[in-house]
Amino acid sequence: MNTRVNRMAPLAWLFVTFFAAGCGGGGYSSVPPPPPPPAAKFSNATLVGQYALSMTGTELCAGQASIFGRAGSFIADGNGHIVGGVEDINVCTGVQTLSFTGGQYSVFPDGRGSISLTNNTGTTTYSIALSTATQGFIGQTDANTTASGSFQRQNSAAFANAAINGGYVFDFKGAEVAGTAVNVASIVGRFDADGVGNVSNGLFDSNIAGTLSGQQTFLPGSFYKVDSNSDGSAFGRGTAHIAGQDFAFYIVDATRVKFIGTGFPSVFIGEAFTQQNIAFNTASLSGSYAFLIDGTSSSGPIAAAGRFSADGGGNITNIVVDENNNGGITLLPNGTLTGTYTVDANQLGGGTLTWTDSKSGTSSFIFYLISPTQAVFQETDSKIVSDGSFSAQTTSTISTAALAGDYVFGWSGISPDPEDFVGQLTLTSSGSFSGLMDFNEFTTGKRVFDIPVKGSVALNGDGTQANTFRVDVQTSPASSFNFTVYIVNENTLLLVGVDTNRLVIGTMKRQP
Amino acid sequence: MKHNLCKTIGRAALAVAILLPSASGAQQRNATVSSRTIAYEVARETIIQGVVVSYTEDSSEPPMGAHVAVQTVGATVDVHLGPAAYLRSNHFSLSAGDPVRFVGVSISTKKGNVFLARIMQSGKQVLALRSPSGFLLAATAARALPQAASTQNAQQGSPR
Repeated sequence: MNTRVNRMAPLAWLFVTFFAAGCGGGGYSSVPPPPPPPAAKFSNATLVGQYALSMTGTELCAGQASIFGRAGSFIADGNGHIVGGVEDINVCTGVQTLSFTGGQYSVFPDGRGSISLTNNTGTTTYSIALSTATQGFIGQTDANTTASGSFQRQNSAAFANAAINGGYVFDFKGAEVAGTAVNVASIVGRFDADGVGNVSNGLFDSNIAGTLSGQQTFLPGSFYKVDSNSDGSAFGRGTAHIAGQDFAFYIVDATRVKFIGTGFPSVFIGEAFTQQNIAFNTASLSGSYAFLIDGTSSSGPIAAAGRFSADGGGNITNIVVDENNNGGITLLPNGTLTGTYTVDANQLGGGTLTWTDSKSGTSSFIFYLISPTQAVFQETDSKIVSDGSFSAQTTSTISTAALAGDYVFGWSGISPDPEDFVGQLTLTSSGSFSGLMDFNEFTTGKRVFDIPVKGSVALNGDGTQANTFRVDVQTSPASSFNFTVYIVNENTLLLVGVDTNRLVIGTMKRQP
Repeated sequence: MKHNLCKTIGRAALAVAILLPSASGAQQRNATVSSRTIAYEVARETIIQGVVVSYTEDSSEPPMGAHVAVQTVGATVDVHLGPAAYLRSNHFSLSAGDPVRFVGVSISTKKGNVFLARIMQSGKQVLALRSPSGFLLAATAARALPQAASTQNAQQGSPR
């Protein structure tokens, strides 16, 4: 019902305009005609070409919730039809490569929309939110399956081994299965690709159920290979053995590759990004950074967002952290907070980072720098498996006026069962916002579309610190989400939920 | 996913044995672990036994999920069980007065002590809630089912 209101708004505007023009046409009114409506930023024509997608979530398996992942490529014709594609899924019954035989999509003027993808097992459905014509957030909205991730337009010129050349940093998360033991897992690292399928200088750190590998080198036999059949040439699919795991991958472009583990029953999902070709050292980490990580602790799901400043000499200052450990909230600083970091002497971008709060204890991490402004980030504290990324914060002034604009978001979490959210909102210069979102709750089977959201952001100081972000969701009954938002820049906001009855995290991206 | 205690402990040992060699390649940088108060250590495991006072599927107190208040000889203990859906899917229910036994670790939170249960037993029913490392099995346990059984039991005909 709310959807109808929203989607009919342009029609209503046309109706009013038509009659206003008609009334004014007789010369009886001195009121000037209203300005033309703003051009719709998005439509079905926006989503055109090939896109790579990846996501992870929860499926119903033998009556139980179970982690799964999917990565693939689809072709949108710009007119509401999916005209091809392929995907790899890693579900509880195994791994499969499935071709898309059809599908449909709709993109609304605000950039939100829906996609259905059909393969020989049936049709899966998704909500999407486009930040630009080339990328967006995606959430699966089927019964008994919820998931979230992202999609990006592919550059088919990069569908060749030769395009994958140079250094890459990766972050994979999932579960490693050994016999009857299923362990939550995170693997981060880097490698050099030679453009013909070989990898060298492969390094990784794994955290398998809290057991840390330390930095390891890749074993002989590691490789990557774009498929020699049409899956490779048409969709950028390939296979790889990286960091001791088997993967299928989908090339977004030469700078970004999406991976899904194929070593069933283990499951991993992640991405690799081109690493800047420089000799990294301690000075590479300098300035202010915002981070977002999530994973699992002994208590259950855990997530943290925050910020820190690096001095280029091994010291960390100005550390602020919001951690939600399955409803238990820890805010830092609590006491006196100090930190240090190191960058590996091998100059390949790996490093360690530690901070100690005099009251809350020590948190430790390792990272691999993509560049001096971005890194993958893995927590190495006992019995915590959590990873994510950090990014340099803007040095420009952050204000609500500077943040004003349109954003899309993709959030995921638990309450206490898994749920995923995709939506769009408009933030005003006063800090208030409104928009619409879709969400999918796993256990309840509740799938809600076009639900209005309202709320406000309140900046703390110069905006580089912990800022509050409250979302009122107009469900019945209404519910509220309380986030802390850390601002990377006026285009990217990182959110971590600080409610005790819900753990939701995610990212917001500015639309044009 | 019903286990008896012996099998579970045996599998835990096997899992550790299997996992240890999985780290491959020469080690370049040693792992540094800092311990936080929330950490689950199997060496700290204890057993509590008592009678269910109350069972809450969605507790307002962290950690999120199902909690059961257990009257033991010495005190009432708040036991965290994880997602209630996992208990339901394993046909495990608790009611006031049920005799219960838990293996797990007690941790301190801002609102008091919580016992993180790894194994729960009520009557003849035994259910593993956490891995030997202390991580909840709710989101991952199905991955350990034998593939054939998993395939057989999975939702038939659902699109992938």
